[in-house]
Amino acid sequence: MSTFIEQHPELAASITQNSVIYDFLQNSLTDGLWYWNLLSPTEGWVNATFWQTLGYAADQVPTDFAAWRACIEPIDLAAAWQQAEACLQDPTLRFDLVLRCTHRQGSPVWLRCRAIVLRGDSDRTAWLVGALVDVTKEKHREAYAQEVATHYSSILSNQSVYILKTDAQGNYTYVNDFFCERFGWEHDLIGTSSLLSIIEEDRPKCLEVVMQCFQAPEVPHQVILRKPYRDGSIKANHWEFKGLLGEGGELVEILCVGYDVTLLLENLHRAQHLLDVTSQQNLRLQNFAYIISHNIRSHSANLTSLVQLLAEAKSKVQKTMFLQMLTTSTEQLADTIVNLNDIVTINNNVSKPKAARSLKTDIDKALEALSVLIHQHNISVEVDVAPTLIVTVVPAYLDSILLNLISNAVKYRSLDRPAFIRLRAQINPMGVVLTVQDNGRGIDLVRYRSKLFGMYKTFHDNEDARGVGLFITKNQVEAMQGTIQAESEVGVGSTFTIQFHESA
Amino acid sequence: MKVPDLAYVVEDDRITAVITKVIVKKELCFRAVQTFSNRQQAFDQLKVAVQKGANVPDLILLDLNMPLMDGWEFLDAFSTLALAQRIRVFILTSSIQPEDAEKATHYKEVKGYFSKPLGKDNVQRMQALLSEVGAA
Repeated sequence: MSTFIEQHPELAASITQNSVIYDFLQNSLTDGLWYWNLLSPTEGWVNATFWQTLGYAADQVPTDFAAWRACIEPIDLAAAWQQAEACLQDPTLRFDLVLRCTHRQGSPVWLRCRAIVLRGDSDRTAWLVGALVDVTKEKHREAYAQEVATHYSSILSNQSVYILKTDAQGNYTYVNDFFCERFGWEHDLIGTSSLLSIIEEDRPKCLEVVMQCFQAPEVPHQVILRKPYRDGSIKANHWEFKGLLGEGGELVEILCVGYDVTLLLENLHRAQHLLDVTSQQNLRLQNFAYIISHNIRSHSANLTSLVQLLAEAKSKVQKTMFLQMLTTSTEQLADTIVNLNDIVTINNNVSKPKAARSLKTDIDKALEALSVLIHQHNISVEVDVAPTLIVTVVPAYLDSILLNLISNAVKYRSLDRPAFIRLRAQINPMGVVLTVQDNGRGIDLVRYRSKLFGMYKTFHDNEDARGVGLFITKNQVEAMQGTIQAESEVGVGSTFTIQFHESA
Repeated sequence: MKVPDLAYVVEDDRITAVITKVIVKKELCFRAVQTFSNRQQAFDQLKVAVQKGANVPDLILLDLNMPLMDGWEFLDAFSTLALAQRIRVFILTSSIQPEDAEKATHYKEVKGYFSKPLGKDNVQRMQALLSEVGAA
């Protein structure tokens, strides 16, 4: 440039001396000029462009020479003063700052001010000459960008959504604060394997969804995964995985957005459980209605017929016979009503209080009650139950269940071989499992499995079989949230397995 | 219509069995009525009778809910027998479950479905059915 100017001295002269060029430059390059007397800070002047920038039309420009001061934020003016002072001391410093000014309509206008300090010969004059450029738009853009950034960062770390990213190998590359906070991990999670934070059982499910991300990265893939929470509990989270592609179209990261569905799943399970209980009860009610129809009606049918026959009977022998049958029939009806009452009682007491009981003690008690029969039929009894084993049960139900299963084993013992009854108990994750095994006559389960625990079902041609024992046992076990299963083979024996549900 | 000779009453309740036997003899004019407290026995005897061609019953009155052999199983087994003569089966049950009545219609051997007690109405229906089937 300097060479160019040197080659054209007349141009150099024009630039420095021609007021047309000067006006053009000051009006087109700046949004205002500012002269400030550094020896008398109240004295200063701004040009017409300055007023124009602040929204004043030519005829609105204040006549007061000091009016410009009121348009600049006092704090900014003070800062400008400080910088000007510094520049006065050290000529190598540059004056460059942003002044907040007030538009005629009250809105803020940001003016960037670059200035030079002109010093008189004998320190008697010192002027700041500032060129002002309106940077309001940039300021707004900056503020907007800041707002957007704050907005997104607040979304990323908000209170209910987990946001994280992993690389193609499944190592964390980003986790939001909420995720860290919830799962009690530090930010040094970055770079570690995300798979390790998932319970082992759910890892294959996670890998499968990751594979889907590789196959179709643009589509969100959903999965529910369980992770251990920092208090040790397991939380179920619903995740959406999406592949993030690199420039070459290859998958570089996986974006995972998740939220807690533990409560949702718990409620779902609770609803499902309620539904199960309801359908079970419904089934029992139907069965009950059937029993009432069958048993009470069969007795009532007999009574009706017998009364009719009695009325028509001609001989005394006949009369005596029918009267005897009438007596038996009424007795049976009474028994049936007692049985039905037993069953209604179980179904009415779903929430009977449970108590901790020693299983061994209760088994011994049941065996004691049946000891006469057991000795009479020479049945050997083995009990492999630890005396310390505790079950949480409705005590009356446990007594009834033990009595029923053991007396069944006695009743249906084999007559061909020495009979035995074995009671064993073990603990599995659900609770205590009791098995009652015999080598008795057995039941043909191929034929009777679906009816085994049904009401008024009997499977042997036994005179005193009422067909309510296993039905009541099953009801009692289930009323305690347990389960009962049977294995049996004709001529070999039967094994009944009861799973107690401890927590409930 | 010839006088029917023999009826089986398959019924596990002894009192019901005796009552039914008395009514079948008296009202349906059967000469002999045999009662069975379990279906297996009834079927075994029926099978022997069919093989020998003697003492085959004209009518079987079948209860639905009994031990050892379910009423339906009896009917399934019954339908496999090669019969030289017609044996009519009536179901006589205390069940009022519609499913049972519906299921019974699927067995062509079952000529009638009756709910206990075996009162006047049921007896009249049986008489009518017996003469109808007998004429056919």
